[in-house]
Amino acid sequence: MQFKLYKNEIIMVLAICVLLGAFFYKQKAQNAQKDDASIVILQETKKIIALKKVWADKSSISKIKNLKNIVSSSKVKWNKKSKKLSVSFLDLSNKEFNKVMTKIMNLPIEIISLEAKEVDSKYKVEMKCKW
Amino acid sequence: MEKQNILNFMEKNKELLLIHTDMQNVEGTKTKRMNIMLTPQFYTLRREAVPVKYIYQAKKIAPSMFDGLLDDTLNYQYYVEKGERWLFIAYDIEKIKSFLVEKGIALENIVKIYFADQSLSHFVSPVLLGTEQALVNLNGIMTVVPQKILDTQSSPIEITSQFIPKKGETFNLASNVSMPNNETYILAAIFILFAAMYTVEGSRYDMQDNKESEKIAELFEAHPSLSSAYTRKNILEKYNRLDKKERQKRKIVKKLSHIIFKGVTLQTLTISDHSVQSTFKCKDQNIVNKLSSLASKEKLISQKGSNNLLSIEGKL
Repeated sequence: MQFKLYKNEIIMVLAICVLLGAFFYKQKAQNAQKDDASIVILQETKKIIALKKVWADKSSISKIKNLKNIVSSSKVKWNKKSKKLSVSFLDLSNKEFNKVMTKIMNLPIEIISLEAKEVDSKYKVEMKCKW
Repeated sequence: MEKQNILNFMEKNKELLLIHTDMQNVEGTKTKRMNIMLTPQFYTLRREAVPVKYIYQAKKIAPSMFDGLLDDTLNYQYYVEKGERWLFIAYDIEKIKSFLVEKGIALENIVKIYFADQSLSHFVSPVLLGTEQALVNLNGIMTVVPQKILDTQSSPIEITSQFIPKKGETFNLASNVSMPNNETYILAAIFILFAAMYTVEGSRYDMQDNKESEKIAELFEAHPSLSSAYTRKNILEKYNRLDKKERQKRKIVKKLSHIIFKGVTLQTLTISDHSVQSTFKCKDQNIVNKLSSLASKEKLISQKGSNNLLSIEGKL
């Protein structure tokens, strides 16, 4: 009969135990997730895929080829080998220069070197890049 | 017999024990659940018509109903009941408990406490309290009187479970003071609710974990080369470096294009692996200074040269 004496206390203790049990279960699951290597792997993999999509996208080549046609072909010296490109743009007007530079800056390529010079109000751009 | 056993689970069918100061020690209460009815020796009452509608309002004003009537040294609890007039009862539970213990009553077996004044209508004749006193209904107030003054023609009655009124005070030995029933149940319910929330949240984390494992398996199936941690690390490093550097180059070129204004002409622009360098030809010295300040605002390094030339460099 003693348990009847402390009925409310027993109820409270049981409720607190259930609460603590549930709390620790949640904490354990949460910590397990935080420490989980699978999250790191997932994040890494997703990031690599995203970065590859930007910098190693196979469809980039068509965008790079468009660079050739941005100004008159007489002003372009094009030398593409595999995934490397050397290109020179000669006698560019201000407008053309801006157009070429904007296009280059928007291409997903690794610019190895780029030199632009103003000669007699005309610009000359030489660029080496790869992708 | 079977029916009676079933009914015994109901409080009103439990034995009703009348508690009075002259009572004998009670035997055999160790296992039997019972209700008790107190005589006015254990409480003080008032019947008043007060302009309140609800029990909680009456409970609030109950202490004030007994101003100056109670012993200040005791700790009173109040019972209220609605009727033609409100019934207010003040009692000291500790005093009652110690009396019950003294009489050998197992407190844990007491289910409810009732007050004799709640069952006025049942006291049609006196109820004898021991050998000297009797409990009588005197003009609507239960009173303990000497048996000597009782009318010899009125035959005393025995108290039975029929005397149990509709409502009573729940008696819970341990919880009465430190942990009342209501609070216990409310708190326990809140704890269980939180426990349920934590469990749901925890299982959500678990499920998420499983989903991630499935996603990883799918990704590795589509990109088998990434299943090696070493390869993954190298590829990630390579592309992170490339992404950072190329974005930086473009950012500096963009900054340079933003700071150019009328009177400034780009002379040279060189992008290498370490920096982006440019030379601007300015119309006059004022423009050189202005361009220089704009460059420093953009956190670019500028260096003035001869013939109004200004070199601006951004490090990668």
